[in-house]
Amino acid sequence: MIKLSRITKHFGRQQVLRGIDLTARQGEVVAILGPSGSGKTTLLRCINYLERPSDGEVEIGGFKVDCKHPSKKEIQTLRRKSAMVFQHYNLFKHKTALENVMEGLVVVRKLPKDEARERSAKVLEKVGLGAKLDAYPSQLSGGQQQRVGIARALALEPEVILFDEPTSALDPELVGEVLEVIRRIAKEGITMIVVTHEMGFAREVANHVIFMDEGRIVEEGDPKEIFARPKEERTRQFLKRITPEASYSI
Amino acid sequence: MPGAKFDLAYVFDYFPKLLSTLNVTLTIVGLSIVLGLGVGFLVALPRLYKVPVLKRVSEVYVSFFRGTPILIQLFLIYYGLPEILKLANVDVTRTPVLVFVVLTYSLHAGAFMSEMIRAGVAAVDRGQVEAAYSVGMTGPQAFVRIVLPQALAISLPVFANLVIATLKDTSLAFSLGVMEMTGKAQTLITVGQHFVEAYLVLAIIYFVISFALERLFRLLERRLLRHEKTENADRKRFGRRGSPSLRGLLAESASLPKGGSGL
Ligand SMILES: Nc1ncnc2c1ncn2[C@@H]1O[C@H](COP(=O)(O)OP(=O)(O)O)[C@@H](O)[C@H]1O
Ligand SMILES: [Mg+2]
Repeated sequence: MIKLSRITKHFGRQQVLRGIDLTARQGEVVAILGPSGSGKTTLLRCINYLERPSDGEVEIGGFKVDCKHPSKKEIQTLRRKSAMVFQHYNLFKHKTALENVMEGLVVVRKLPKDEARERSAKVLEKVGLGAKLDAYPSQLSGGQQQRVGIARALALEPEVILFDEPTSALDPELVGEVLEVIRRIAKEGITMIVVTHEMGFAREVANHVIFMDEGRIVEEGDPKEIFARPKEERTRQFLKRITPEASYSI
Repeated sequence: MPGAKFDLAYVFDYFPKLLSTLNVTLTIVGLSIVLGLGVGFLVALPRLYKVPVLKRVSEVYVSFFRGTPILIQLFLIYYGLPEILKLANVDVTRTPVLVFVVLTYSLHAGAFMSEMIRAGVAAVDRGQVEAAYSVGMTGPQAFVRIVLPQALAISLPVFANLVIATLKDTSLAFSLGVMEMTGKAQTLITVGQHFVEAYLVLAIIYFVISFALERLFRLLERRLLRHEKTENADRKRFGRRGSPSLRGLLAESASLPKGGSGL
């Protein structure tokens, strides 16, 4: 389980997050929607301290960190309990698909190489890349690279996986294969927080949807509820803009 | 004043004589490159991590050693350093000249190395470092495992140029009286007045070593960059032809970022 309390974040004088509370129970999929610049990426990055929150509290799997004065060790622990899938994949370019997945297991988890290799191969198999173990990122399509990114996160068996618009850098015809993989691992009961613009995906896979705007949670709840009957004007406008008429009226 | 009449026999005579001092030349190059790498790292770090005062010091250091002729640096350090050390009551009058020479070339190479390291590190995108952090690596782990290997591969062509430039620069060490290859040639010339023969042999030796180094580095580069898409990868990156060629080498040394500092 993961719990964020009163997270705020300033960049200089600009306040980007204005007190975010969020809970994802074990096995839950939380989708975060919202217009560009509303602070979604920053919120995800605050969870594993790629960005340091100005204030608030992050708790992952019973491990609680006060954002005001975290120690290096606490930050390290949060990072070990979470994993992230990036918009631009951020694969290690000098390492093969297999090595990308092994890296964290060997260097951070201190698994013996053989064991790490076996486990990594298995996870890559699971995301449909069993035939690409020895390929370098430059030899893979965007969709394949992102699936390696997912495998890298998955192999660490974290308490929560954070997805930051995992399909928005992909050519349209490659989006499906990546969503399919995420859908599948969601069914396995892995806790996930997913920032996405894929409404169909959010509606189908998420247990809980959060709509953010200007650093605040404007509205949240059950996906069917929110997509069918948004209460807030801003949510309504956003959904109208982003959802094709047909699927909106369901 | 023209020298003695050209005589091919002297060319063959000079080869073994000059080659006998090759070890001095290579010692200067080897030590300077190794120490220069160390200096380069130390100088690059404050700029990479934006350490307030040290960053400025590094910048001045780099500007100085890049902006003045190495011959002048040699003289400044050979004559100037003992004066400064005298103030601290350190006597270096018995220190071999070679030490001053290696020191100068190390500091000189270090300035270029620090720029090379900076550029190499900057070329590895920030996203990969963040990915390393996100899987739980520490700062040093991310640097050593993710940034450094890629920075090295990216820097290799620049490094190759630096080694070759240093090799050529060692020909200036004789001005302090060091008996490396060029110095040896000078003494042969003084005795026999066979200018052309001596310089011809020198040119051939320097060239062969440079060419061999060039090939070696290109092999290494290909290995380090094997993660790049194979076709045209190095042409895209460094504007290079596929295989090392004589023309390619000449064209490249003409556009060397550093350039051997001729007299
Ligand atoms: N490192 C940064 N420095 C300064 N401002 C930033 C930084 N990162 C994000 N911002 C600002 O914070 C706001 C929220 O950005 P972001 O979290 O990326 O939004 P979203 O992911 O919802 O599009 C934007 O106004 C953006 O310009
Ligand atoms: Mg974003």
